[in-house]
Amino acid sequence: MRNCAKIKWYRWTAAALALAGLGNALADFKVTEMQPRFVEQSLVLTGNLELGLNAKVEEALAKGIPLEVVIEVNLYRERRFLWDRKTADWTLHRRIQYHALTGQYLVNTMEPEVESGDSLLTLQEALKQLGALNGVALKLEEPATPDAVHSVDLRVSLDIEALPTPLRPVAYTSFTWHLNSGWSTWKVAP
Amino acid sequence: MESSPLKNESVTPRPRTEGRNRTVTRYVTGFTPLAVLSVLLIAAFIMMNAAAQNSALFGRLYSVLLLVNILGVVLLIALILLNLFHFAEQYRARVVGTRLTLRLLVMFVVLAVVPVSVVFYFSIQALNRGIDNWFDVRIERALDDALLLGRTALDAQRQDLVKTAQEIAVELETLPVRQKPGADPSELSLLNALREQYSITELTLFTQDRRILASSSEASLEAGSLVPDRPSDAMIAQVRQGLTYSNLDAIGKAGLRLRVVVPVQARDVGAPLRVLQVLQALPPRYAKLGESVQSAFAEYEKLVYLRGPLKFGFTLTLSLIALLTLLIAVWAAIFFARRLATPIRELAEATHAVAQGDYQKQIPVTSHDEIGILVESFNDMTHRIHRAQVQSKRSQQEAEIQRAYLETVLGHLSSGVLTFNQRLLLRTHNPAAAQILGADLRAGERKPLAWLAENYPALQPLIEAVEQAAAAGQDEWQVQIQLSVNNHRRTLMLRGTSLPSWREKRGGYVVVFDDITTLIQAQREAAWGEVARRMAHEIKNPLTPIKLSAERIRHKYLRQVPEDERAALERATRTIIEQVDSLKTMVNDFSEYARSAQMQSRPVDLNDLIHDVVELYKNSRGGAGVVPLHRGSKTGKGKTTRAVTTKLDLDENLPRIPADPGRLRQVLHNLLLNARDALTNSPRPVIRLGTRLVGENNHRSVELTVQDNGPGFPDALLARLYEPYVTHKEKGTGLGLAIVKRIVEEHGGTIRAYNLKEGGACIIIRLPVSAAVGAAESPAVSNPARGETQA
Repeated sequence: MRNCAKIKWYRWTAAALALAGLGNALADFKVTEMQPRFVEQSLVLTGNLELGLNAKVEEALAKGIPLEVVIEVNLYRERRFLWDRKTADWTLHRRIQYHALTGQYLVNTMEPEVESGDSLLTLQEALKQLGALNGVALKLEEPATPDAVHSVDLRVSLDIEALPTPLRPVAYTSFTWHLNSGWSTWKVAP
Repeated sequence: MESSPLKNESVTPRPRTEGRNRTVTRYVTGFTPLAVLSVLLIAAFIMMNAAAQNSALFGRLYSVLLLVNILGVVLLIALILLNLFHFAEQYRARVVGTRLTLRLLVMFVVLAVVPVSVVFYFSIQALNRGIDNWFDVRIERALDDALLLGRTALDAQRQDLVKTAQEIAVELETLPVRQKPGADPSELSLLNALREQYSITELTLFTQDRRILASSSEASLEAGSLVPDRPSDAMIAQVRQGLTYSNLDAIGKAGLRLRVVVPVQARDVGAPLRVLQVLQALPPRYAKLGESVQSAFAEYEKLVYLRGPLKFGFTLTLSLIALLTLLIAVWAAIFFARRLATPIRELAEATHAVAQGDYQKQIPVTSHDEIGILVESFNDMTHRIHRAQVQSKRSQQEAEIQRAYLETVLGHLSSGVLTFNQRLLLRTHNPAAAQILGADLRAGERKPLAWLAENYPALQPLIEAVEQAAAAGQDEWQVQIQLSVNNHRRTLMLRGTSLPSWREKRGGYVVVFDDITTLIQAQREAAWGEVARRMAHEIKNPLTPIKLSAERIRHKYLRQVPEDERAALERATRTIIEQVDSLKTMVNDFSEYARSAQMQSRPVDLNDLIHDVVELYKNSRGGAGVVPLHRGSKTGKGKTTRAVTTKLDLDENLPRIPADPGRLRQVLHNLLLNARDALTNSPRPVIRLGTRLVGENNHRSVELTVQDNGPGFPDALLARLYEPYVTHKEKGTGLGLAIVKRIVEEHGGTIRAYNLKEGGACIIIRLPVSAAVGAAESPAVSNPARGETQA
């Protein structure tokens, strides 16, 4: 009897995880390509983030809810016998918003200044723009060790905390709003 | 109050770990943690409510606050469940006060839950309706229309700008085509002139690959951005196809601007296409109105979209608040129910303790209300009971001491003491009474006198005396009675007194009695001793002259008197002489009896002595093994002589005893003569002599038994067996046994005599082996005896 209960429990968990995985597969964030490299005192990221929105999130965007994605970047220096040492980390915020009067999507990459942005006609263009890292330079406080092997861990996710307050409880309790690429590791070009 | 088993938690000392557990329990189930938690949760809810209303202060903390609140509520639920569990345990253990607590708890919970539930229900309804009322179809349409109107107006502007851009493009066609970008004064001046002519914000000429050929802009446009905004690849692609791109761009806080991108055809054949971008900032009025419409529409749309989440958020907040209120109410119910029931529980426990006999129970007075007064009264009551109990115990102890004292005194009294209640039931008795009466009085306790009479018929005279005195209602009485206890006659002196009465009831009687048998006997013996001494003195002296005179008369006158009178004289004088001899013998006996003890004690082997005495008789009369004892008659009547068989049963290991052998020889002699006399008419006379050692350690005695198979002692003489001059023989002086007894007592021994069942008398003498000579023991009378003889 107890075993049955255990099996049921496992089954339910597995089903929930599978559903969550399916949801992520349909619409999720992904780091498709990334080429980090050091340029002088900066880590320069060039690559694309695939930011797929599901219908629910698209609807919220269309209804004027601004969405903010968080790009977390961790720089590690690899060590042979010890675990990698984190030497720096950055958090980038990018925002997309629908402008009803013009029918365009405003993408704000907040780079190099906060109010810099583009307005794009289609959502695909806007998301492409949002996910495009075209030589984003991240300043290093200390210069990178020349001979050491470095790697970058990168993750992009939807920032629930940036959503309007009433939406947050819903977003926290719903898988739909949990858009996350998960951590991916990229070697820094020497 | 139900008689349920109580859990006395406060009295029993507890080990340290248990004390620690209790402290933990108190911290978990007590007042402080729940109160603190409740206050914190209320504060958190206030902040969360503020956050839900888009307060800048708490907006960022909303999620954290929500989490904190949910965790807090869960913790509160856990604490309350712990409380309830603790309470349920107490309820199952039937701790006093839990039922009352449960009743109060249920009442409080119902009082709290019902109104909160009602308020919660209506609040949710009102909230939902309120949020729904925010939205109206007409407002929605108005906003849509406003947006459409805005778009239309801006579209007209855009169309105008498109036309202008095309006109400018036509004018620019005249400019020669350059492939290398760089400052060309003629182009710039033309662009500036055209821009000013058409009042354009920015005019930029690009190559097909988006390189800037020339640009002219107002200084105010996009301050801080010197580089002109380039058209995107999509725009260029559209222009390459000969189409015009026009759009209204939203540029963040900078507002709105119109962008038109048109191709600039070259007049020269084969010359590349150029691209003209016209940027026109909207007039401030248009921009402001457009932004206003945009923001209002966006806000409304956002609100419409957030209607569901908003409801969910408010419902969640309200539910949490309602839950918190309920939980606090339940907790408060538990707390106050316990607090109300605690003094009652303590009171019940204390009452139970008092019922169990703990009169020192005191309850701490924690309040001054009615319960406080009750507790004070209870404490006063237990204090008084305790004091009374202590006094009662003290009195009881004193009574016990008195009783023990009386028992000790009574136990060591030689007098017998019996007490009877008013119904003449035996209440108390002392050991001496049982010993004197020869009765097991312990079995007769609480039994009437009739029981004693039934079980011990020999005590009838005593019972009659008591009954008569009780019937007569005498307060003090005294009587002397005779009892035959175990065939041993005893003379008792009874003195009775009625006990003090209580509440008009007679208090019963106490009867004290002494065995005065020995005393009377001693008195008699003393009197007889005196008589004997005087007789010896007064009679013996004249006997010698009388005898001498009679012999002289006979010697002198026998031959002088005539022949016929001679016989008479001879008979007379002989009679005188014989009678004088007889008198002398008697007087000697008396003298012997009266003679004071002058013992010459030395170790004596009693067996040897017996052999000597028996041998003496045997030698004097002859016959081996048979002692022809006979008491020959000197009257010459030819009395038949019967041989008396003497059988000896002597203990070979008999120790020597300290004794005067001469006097013991007299004892044996007297006893043998008595036996012989008793066997005069027996067909087969037998005398048995036996010795043995009895007793242990320092109380060892040598026992001498002399038995015959004669008729035994006459019953009439049993009481006065050892008195002098008591005899049933024709010629006995009655001093034989009296002398024997005196000698035995002089040796510190005892003598007793009884008749055997098979016939004949038995005399048993016990002489101590090492006891001090002269320390006479009281005669043993407890052995079964059939009667006593006299010598």
